[in-house]
Amino acid sequence: MSAVNYEKEVEAIRTAIRFNRWAAFYSLYRREMKRFFKVIFQTIFTPFINSTLYLLIFGVSLGASIRLDSGLSYLSFLIPGLVMMGVLNNAFQNTSSSVTSGKFSGDLEDLKVVPLNSTMIIWALSVAGLTRGLIVGLITYTVVEVFLYVTEGAFLPVAHPFWLLYFLVVGGLAFSKLGIAIAFWAKSFEHVSGVGSFVLLPLIYLGGVFFSTRGLHPFWQKVSEFNPVLYFINGVRYGMLGISDVNVLTAAWISFGALAVLYVLGLYALKYGSYSRW
Amino acid sequence: MGVAPIEISDLVKDYGRFRAVDHVSFRMAPGEVLGLLGPNGAGKTTIISTMVTLEKPTEGTVKIFGLDVTQEPERTKMLTGYVPQELIHHGFFSVEEIMEFHSGYFGRLKNRDRIDWLLQRLGLWDHRKKKVKQLSGGMKRRLLIAKALVHEPKLLLLDEPTAGVDIELRESLWKFVEELRAGGMSILLTTHYIEEAENLCDRIGILQKGRLLLMGPTRELVKDLTEREIVVRMRDELPKNIASPFLLKHDRVEAVFRVPSAMGVGELLAEVGINLDAVNDLTVREGSLEEAMRRVLNQRRPSA
Ligand SMILES: Nc1ncnc2c1ncn2[C@@H]1O[C@H](COP(=O)(O)OP(=O)(O)O)[C@@H](O)[C@H]1O
Ligand SMILES: [Mg+2]
Repeated sequence: MSAVNYEKEVEAIRTAIRFNRWAAFYSLYRREMKRFFKVIFQTIFTPFINSTLYLLIFGVSLGASIRLDSGLSYLSFLIPGLVMMGVLNNAFQNTSSSVTSGKFSGDLEDLKVVPLNSTMIIWALSVAGLTRGLIVGLITYTVVEVFLYVTEGAFLPVAHPFWLLYFLVVGGLAFSKLGIAIAFWAKSFEHVSGVGSFVLLPLIYLGGVFFSTRGLHPFWQKVSEFNPVLYFINGVRYGMLGISDVNVLTAAWISFGALAVLYVLGLYALKYGSYSRW
Repeated sequence: MGVAPIEISDLVKDYGRFRAVDHVSFRMAPGEVLGLLGPNGAGKTTIISTMVTLEKPTEGTVKIFGLDVTQEPERTKMLTGYVPQELIHHGFFSVEEIMEFHSGYFGRLKNRDRIDWLLQRLGLWDHRKKKVKQLSGGMKRRLLIAKALVHEPKLLLLDEPTAGVDIELRESLWKFVEELRAGGMSILLTTHYIEEAENLCDRIGILQKGRLLLMGPTRELVKDLTEREIVVRMRDELPKNIASPFLLKHDRVEAVFRVPSAMGVGELLAEVGINLDAVNDLTVREGSLEEAMRRVLNQRRPSA
């Protein structure tokens, strides 16, 4: 075969290939959602119990004695933090458990031999993580609204729906990508759960779920400014209640920056991390 | 002729300081079944892994139908079906769900007909609602093959498809491979069942310690590299002064010769001066690929 004919034939092969990227992306997203729905009971039941517990402990027994400067009840102050905690935890959970269980069973390698590229994989996984986060966030929100209505006799209206949505989405995507990055790096289930309980949980708790950082010693105020979760939570609090410890635009930019950094980390993990089985 | 389904040039793969694949080059002809043989650790899986981008070549290029796997991975993956050596479990999902997802990853959302046909053809139809973890090893193996074929690839890579598989299933897989080949598919398989290579492969390559020792048509390799054993039993006695470079052993009436595969019986008898009329019985045992392989591997072993 002459060189010219060879090139022509290769070109014919190249152009004959039809790959529907959206269909591939959608399939992976769908798989992730199906995976989540197979464990829907735990996923929905756990946040339901958790938020009820938090509300009983902090909102009612402790909170009755606390009045905030803004005139809000402590119970209302708590709501955005609890919702965002649910979103962040579940977004992280969904992507990290998908990747780790894929490493365990060996089917993570499938993603490497099919034509999905790293960008498509990271978005399919993290949009699914966000979806799960939002579902759990919505459940938490419903539980606390009902709780609020029972104890205080009124629902809490949403102050800034756009900002609320912005911070929920950016935070959910950011933690989804963090889950991917950590699970790709991890060499065992313990690595992932270790990061979850020794790094993320403290960050979330110290990010102002239960308290306003304004009441802290100036030194600790300064320290907590380096915690990105603070901006996620205060952003959501601004969206729901119209109050925040930090300027909302600052929070918006920092949250977006955190998402961008975690996206790059996630992409890096997908390109250079290990797909191989444990 | 057509474009080679696989063209590997000077492929090197290092794991740290260990060289798993050492300057391997070969090209595959369209529509052929090519076998890679070699002992464990020879580098068979590593070579296949580079074709599906599971491993990155340290040096050299891997082309699938003329397209470089590192430059156009999306396209080369569309053309390739890959059956890994290790079984996969897929924690949560049923056989049917796995097939649908896998089809979807190749951009095919509506692929029911193909999926149903594959499940039926590979004997998984009755198990399609089962969770993958409930399947036996043989069924999992067949599911891997069904997955690999779901997007109608033009090249199929089978990494030890029959390792740990019972004889019945092995034979039905061989039949299936023949069928695929008849349909025009190019197939690369690795195996260490020599019988498998001998039965299925048009050509084989022999690997050792990351190096491709040789590659050629299966029949010719057997012919060139093996010897046949010829046992001659006389009516009376062997000639007293019998002597030949091919003579292995003899007693008074019987002699055993080992000759190159190309040498005929008549040729041998003429050379040692035995008249066919004086022969009572003749047995010829043809050499096998196994022997050929053993010889290649032994010959090329670095001299200590
Ligand atoms: N990920 C890896 N890291 C380090 N060494 C590896 C890795 N994968 C394979 N090897 C080594 O490379 C060599 C070739 O392995 P492999 O390709 O699996 O051989 P085969 O499939 O022929 O049995 C072996 O010595 C193996 O130990
Ligand atoms: Mg192998």
